Amino acid sequence: MPERIREQIRVGAVFGPGPCIHPVWFDWRRRKHTVKEVTYHWRHRAGNALLLHFAVTDGSALFELIYNATELEATDGEAP
Amino acid sequence: MSGRIIMHVDQDAFFASVEQQHDPSLRGKPIAVIGSAARTVITTASYEARAFGVRTGMAVWQARQKCPHIILVTGDNRKYTYTSARIVEMMQQYTPQIEVFSIDEAFLDVTGSLSLYSSPERIAHLLKDEVRHRFGLSCSVGIAPNKMLAKLASDMNKPDGLTVIRPEEVETVLETLPIGKLCGIGARMERQLNLLGIRTCGELGRYPVERLKRKFGVTGEKLHLMGRGIDDSPVIPQEEAEEVKSVGHSTTLDRDIEGRDEILRWLLQLSEMVGRRARRYNVWGKTVTLSIRYADFDTWVERQDTLPSPINQSADIYRAAVAILDTLVLEQPIRLIGVRISNLRYESNQLPLFEEELKKVFLAGAMDQVNDKFGDFTITYGSLMEGTRREEKGAHVISPAWRPSGIRNVDVK
Repeated sequence: MPERIREQIRVGAVFGPGPCIHPVWFDWRRRKHTVKEVTYHWRHRAGNALLLHFAVTDGSALFELIYNATELEATDGEAP
Repeated sequence: MSGRIIMHVDQDAFFASVEQQHDPSLRGKPIAVIGSAARTVITTASYEARAFGVRTGMAVWQARQKCPHIILVTGDNRKYTYTSARIVEMMQQYTPQIEVFSIDEAFLDVTGSLSLYSSPERIAHLLKDEVRHRFGLSCSVGIAPNKMLAKLASDMNKPDGLTVIRPEEVETVLETLPIGKLCGIGARMERQLNLLGIRTCGELGRYPVERLKRKFGVTGEKLHLMGRGIDDSPVIPQEEAEEVKSVGHSTTLDRDIEGRDEILRWLLQLSEMVGRRARRYNVWGKTVTLSIRYADFDTWVERQDTLPSPINQSADIYRAAVAILDTLVLEQPIRLIGVRISNLRYESNQLPLFEEELKKVFLAGAMDQVNDKFGDFTITYGSLMEGTRREEKGAHVISPAWRPSGIRNVDVK
């Protein structure tokens, strides 16, 4: 079962080409995880906020990163 | 192929496939997408689970009986609505004539696109490749001279199929096809037709139309045409679709309820959801309908009341729904409850003249603004704060009325 985390995290991402965002690495619980693959991405609006969701894997686990494009904050959403 | 060329694109096990794409550890395994409510059924099963007999609508315990190692995944509708909208957007490059039939199905009229592409099969291959490349999903495509046959064709060769029914093949295809395979003939209609000795589409097409009309009224003529593979209904893009006839929300409850207070809380929540959507799209309704399904699962009660003037304030909808509830003698606990406004007016309404009424309108407007900015139910009625009335994840059942944009884009929370 996935674990809901909801912690603000630091994410390294490449913006572009165009409007695309590619998460490259993220820090979680004092450990740096390198993104091996973005397995899926989607977006939705919560009120005015545009939330970009990225399901990413570091090769051993799946994480969901949420980027609030309005507040410019990244959150670790879920991890198995 | 001459004449109209209609394509029906059906995503294969859509919700389950999205979940498998999202989590690579689920790929190739029997999984089923379920709702988050305590009482839930299988929304979609992957093809691996279908091989064990797991089907949509089955209770979770039944699915576990059929496939003990099935993996249950709580669905997140936001993923599916986003993906569906992107797929529809992608289809626009092949034709502007797209009718979204449901979240995972669409009809495309590609008659006018043939000057750009060599054949309808070529369009289908390009589209299938693009869906696979961009979303990692597969879809089945049916190509035929009309919508009914295109839908039939897409279902003939699943998953990842491409089936073409050419005009000259229609008669042969329909001759031995069971009537239940046609979209629009449900189990009840099938039983009634069986009683007339009609089991295949060929038999339906040959059955005297007058007798069908006597038995089924206007539908009789339609059935006759269906049996012959005739369907003139056009592909209607969303922007040309008729205005919606009603705005409503219903919910299956986590457990059966019977206490008046609890029923009233649900009515208030549903009235707020309906009112908010109506206000967002600037519509008012004169008729309020309350729907209830009892715990026995079969009894469906629907009562409505038409008011002197149209309303879209949540409090007014709630008051009308409560007034209808008060006319009912509830025979059993309730498992489903719904509120709907219909008889819609689209013109802007005059503001109330009396100060107290005006205050209520401004209050609702202010609440809407807060919820628009910070998300639905950020500010709400005190009585809705009790219990778990709000789902954090988008796991409610998606309404069949879901469309990528416009009033039919029912907010899924």
